[in-house]
Amino acid sequence: MTDNKTPKSPTRREFFKTAGLGAAAGAVAGLGAEPVPAQAADAVPESQGYRETEHVKRYYELSKF
Amino acid sequence: MQPDRSTQQIAEEDQTRAQIYALLGRLLTSAPDADLLAKMAAFSGDESELGQALAALAATARKLDPARIRDEYQDVFIGVARGEVMPYASYYLTGFLHSKPLANLRGDMARLGIVRADGVPNPEDHIGSLCEMMAGLITGAFDAAADLPVQRRFFDAHIAPWALRFFADLEAAKNAVFYMPVAGLGRLFIDIEIQAFALVAQDQAA
Repeated sequence: MTDNKTPKSPTRREFFKTAGLGAAAGAVAGLGAEPVPAQAADAVPESQGYRETEHVKRYYELSKF
Repeated sequence: MQPDRSTQQIAEEDQTRAQIYALLGRLLTSAPDADLLAKMAAFSGDESELGQALAALAATARKLDPARIRDEYQDVFIGVARGEVMPYASYYLTGFLHSKPLANLRGDMARLGIVRADGVPNPEDHIGSLCEMMAGLITGAFDAAADLPVQRRFFDAHIAPWALRFFADLEAAKNAVFYMPVAGLGRLFIDIEIQAFALVAQDQAA
């Protein structure tokens, strides 16, 4: 399982800023699309991975889209 | 399962990327309902191209009602025999549905632990499904927690080779009114992603 200690490229972060992603964050934050908490993944058996409709349904349920 | 990538562990730019992918995925697989439309109407943007694209989308969302957009979705994506656009990787890359690019995608989905639900009518290489998969890979919500190199391989293999052409076609589609600014946002965002992933490639080479 990937942890998030992979160093993120500062260049990449800068690039996103220049591209307006920071400002876009403010706009789309209104959607409340929070990343799905870990238990959403837990709900899906490891062996099966995620199933797309469940994923989508669950994702948007949690995202309050 | 470890409490791996919770909200706090995802960098802000990655959260925003996931949100934009999720939004595109949602809008490209079905027409928005009134609730989503109202949220989109509240988008505001800065002076950047991306900001302008979001503002254009908001302006259009304010003008149209859900029923009108459902009809448009039908005309643009589904049609009588076929829609105005064919939102499938396989179609764009080979001229046929259900060909090699779809098989390749299914292989990668299996490797990443992504399984398709029963009863989903569209082949998995639908642009909306691919956007949803990217959102899931970024947030790590579906057992397939994916760092940037994994995301990049998926993106380079299944999205980058054709998504810009698709969004250009969608933007130009005769019946696209709501979907014109959606396509504009998609085109800009995918272009940003292409450039940003190129930076990851440079870092890896370094």
